[in-house]
Amino acid sequence: MTEPTAPPQASQPQPPHAPQPSDALHAQTPQASQAVIEKTGDRLHPLTPFVKGWGYFVVAAVAMANNESLRSNLKIAGIGLLAVLVGGILLGALSWWFTKWQLTDDAIRVDSGFLFRRTRIIRFDRIQTIDVAQPFVARLFGMAELRMDVAGGGKNDGKLSYFSEADATKLRGTLLLRAKGELAAAQQELHHEEAPPLLVVPTGRLLGATLLSSTVLASAAALIWLIVTTMVFEFHVGLFAGLPLLLGVVQPIWKQVVGNHGFTLSETHDGLRTKRGLFDVQRQTVPPGRVQGLLITEPLIWRLIGWSRVDLDIAGVAGSKADGEEEHEGAQLLPVGQRTQVAAVLKRVLPGTDLAAIEMHRAPERVKWLRPIGWRYLSYGVDGQVLVTTRGWVSRRTSIVLHHKTQSVRLQQGPLQRRLGLANVHVDTPQGPTDAVALHREVGEAAQLVEAQADRAREARRTTSSPAPVHTQPNPPSPDGSSSSAASPADDSSAR
Amino acid sequence: MNDLFAPSDVSWTPVSKNLAALRRLNVGIVLGLLAIAGLVVLGLTVGWLYGVLAVVLAALVFGWAWVLIGRNQRSWKYAEREDELLVSHGVMFRELVVVPYGRMQFVDVAAGPLERAFGMATVELHTATPATDAKIPGLHPDEAARLRDRLSALGQAQAWGL
Repeated sequence: MTEPTAPPQASQPQPPHAPQPSDALHAQTPQASQAVIEKTGDRLHPLTPFVKGWGYFVVAAVAMANNESLRSNLKIAGIGLLAVLVGGILLGALSWWFTKWQLTDDAIRVDSGFLFRRTRIIRFDRIQTIDVAQPFVARLFGMAELRMDVAGGGKNDGKLSYFSEADATKLRGTLLLRAKGELAAAQQELHHEEAPPLLVVPTGRLLGATLLSSTVLASAAALIWLIVTTMVFEFHVGLFAGLPLLLGVVQPIWKQVVGNHGFTLSETHDGLRTKRGLFDVQRQTVPPGRVQGLLITEPLIWRLIGWSRVDLDIAGVAGSKADGEEEHEGAQLLPVGQRTQVAAVLKRVLPGTDLAAIEMHRAPERVKWLRPIGWRYLSYGVDGQVLVTTRGWVSRRTSIVLHHKTQSVRLQQGPLQRRLGLANVHVDTPQGPTDAVALHREVGEAAQLVEAQADRAREARRTTSSPAPVHTQPNPPSPDGSSSSAASPADDSSAR
Repeated sequence: MNDLFAPSDVSWTPVSKNLAALRRLNVGIVLGLLAIAGLVVLGLTVGWLYGVLAVVLAALVFGWAWVLIGRNQRSWKYAEREDELLVSHGVMFRELVVVPYGRMQFVDVAAGPLERAFGMATVELHTATPATDAKIPGLHPDEAARLRDRLSALGQAQAWGL
């Protein structure tokens, strides 16, 4: 980053911030909030090893308790457990002692490891989003971790844990400031903490929505059928199939109700913020210029009630697909909402686009040979800013792609389609939930659409006030090379 | 029909004929091994007539594959437009990919031992999405190097943030 706005205040050498009440008090005053910023080599919260390693202790204890021979000899068990505890604490303490982080002019630097030293430097302009997360145990101790999403990086690559909650929030503010460059600190603070929620999703609706979602309904129906057949016909083999089905019912409910508990959407200076979770509070910021595409999902029964879900593609977030199951859906903008809410949310993300006003082109009628029912719901539409495609009759999926975020355009045709004179047009976005395909279009129309979309993408790239092509890229064609320019302030201003 | 997957306003470059030769060789090796195994196993267990039949079958399949591979090789082509790279391929399942240079994240040039023996290389253009399938096999190594340099130059000149 070019201009660190926060004045460096290295004059106040603080001890590694101990969890003392005085620290929390200082947090309120602006001076203390900046003292956190510039120090050379800060340690993390001293309770970190314990919070990180609690699972290890529990596992050790359970293993001890379960071991027959050890249980009969409590003394050995006790000594063993003690050794494990002491060893664990020692290792944890060592790793804590050697882990230091600091903010340099243009990057955050983390040194860690006592046998193998490791230094990780994350440049501010490569940071896509910064979240404060509180896993359950950490929350018990009032601690939080900082998650920085770096395009192309794994889930754990940008994790820094743990801080006291106040420190984490402050550091996040500072980093956002550095990553964005221009915002004034006071404004930032104000916008962070006191943004009134745009909407809160009540738990009842979450539960209802999950119960009425297609997968849960299907699983539940299958389960009931299974139980009935088992009871009536004594067809016992079926019971084994019940387990995955039961999982199919319970797991989504758990995930929705616990994971999205108290889903709150608010608007801050640096984009929309979401906050959700019962045990593990997750916060996520959606910078407006970083949205790659949207997906609106409406399962069959939801449509009758007028509910839908909105997911987002964000650069960097979906990149952690490989190693986490939680993260791979990109970002949820709205787990379930009424039509008016969806419209309001869309308006914030895509100002100047009215979905209802876009003329949708239906697929030709002969598609019914390929999709007997679904053909009625295949359509696409275009306006000056986005391309919209819909499909699916059980669960309707509406994908929205911004023209200037289009990665590539593909035209596809299989043998049956050629017989019928049809072709598919794919509009690719970076990986994430959005999947914009204009399925089964008339060939001529498809060819036109490919050309037109390529033109539109080119036009949009040129006209949208862009970050200068090559400016802050020291190593040009790297996987996250171009994402750095997305993190620059110029892009942010263009998104408004 | 051809116009659909190969718009005529650009000049299309075909890929090397050696691509077909290479693929035929691959299929030939596999089918040859299968035919010999079939001949020996069937000949020893059932009767040599069946073994010969297996060889004939393998030969027929090879002939069919010969034709298909030829058609497939002819279907591969690419074009460089001012702002985009176009790749078109496939006979039964056809595909046309349009990738703006500015979307490029990195370029791969790969050549296996057999490919090298036939004097070919594969260039693949990667964007931020794995769905983009812009791969051009069967390029002459010089052409591959030229394409690589041109693509990275254009990619950098037109680079666009995510």
